[in-house]
Amino acid sequence: MKGLVIATHADLGASLLRACELIIGPLPNACAISVQREDDIDTVRQTFATAIAEVGRDGDGVLIMTDMLGGTPANIGGSFVDAERVDLLTGVSLPMVLKFFNSKADLGLSELALILKAYGQQGIQLISELLKR
Amino acid sequence: MKLVLARVDNRLIHGQVLEAWVPNTHANCIVVANDEIAETTMRRLLMEAAVPKGIQVVVDKVEAVAHLLCSGELGDARVLLLFATVSDALLAFRAGAPITTLNLGNMHAGAGKLKCSCTIALSPEDIDDLRTLDDSGVKIMSQCVPTEREIAWSSMLPRTEG
Repeated sequence: MKGLVIATHADLGASLLRACELIIGPLPNACAISVQREDDIDTVRQTFATAIAEVGRDGDGVLIMTDMLGGTPANIGGSFVDAERVDLLTGVSLPMVLKFFNSKADLGLSELALILKAYGQQGIQLISELLKR
Repeated sequence: MKLVLARVDNRLIHGQVLEAWVPNTHANCIVVANDEIAETTMRRLLMEAAVPKGIQVVVDKVEAVAHLLCSGELGDARVLLLFATVSDALLAFRAGAPITTLNLGNMHAGAGKLKCSCTIALSPEDIDDLRTLDDSGVKIMSQCVPTEREIAWSSMLPRTEG
């Protein structure tokens, strides 16, 4: 089973996991990393390494989701990207997290990552625009 | 070229810089002076991708950046200059970078460092380098984000140090 690490500023990631659990129940192979203002970069890097090893224990790959391209969680997460084994998706949202757990288990990591990217983008809509259609 | 902010921040381009300092300073060019990242394609790409369109990004070695800033090549850009360490800032200053004010953003704790605030920890070498810059007339202030109060670096040191 693939693993998920949600790394964000403050406690956004843990809250996303809680929100997701509330909708679909317990989430296997998932964890959140919270980056605080006072955190030392090397300590955060170590936290990433531990989290990736932990949720990736099944050997099916790990997807890191982060809140913001250019933020510290994404900057550090980026250094763990490793072709088929670890990938990084920015702009995490609840639909993306839900879809991670509700996708077919036999999808490869890169296939799943592409689906989730498109799914997250579809989840952003301006309702007044929809009404004009 | 107008240098709107020169900052020491071991996170370099990150949330505070993009979402707080860029709007505050109206910078339209971010210059990262870092020997290691200048030579690491992956980190450079990630950095360049993170900056909103319309803002120029330059990543180069510290000395090359100092020369660039003096060259006039950046035209009338409003430059936000980032260093990962104080020693890089001093190197750039000595190489001619026109730094008059230095902002201390994030310099996190490590072994043997003096913790001065929640985001600033200084090693003895950092303190020496800051003294050198200070003695050369550079105004050095600690301020993580624009909404925080600026604090003169010297007032952050314990009295025996100050």
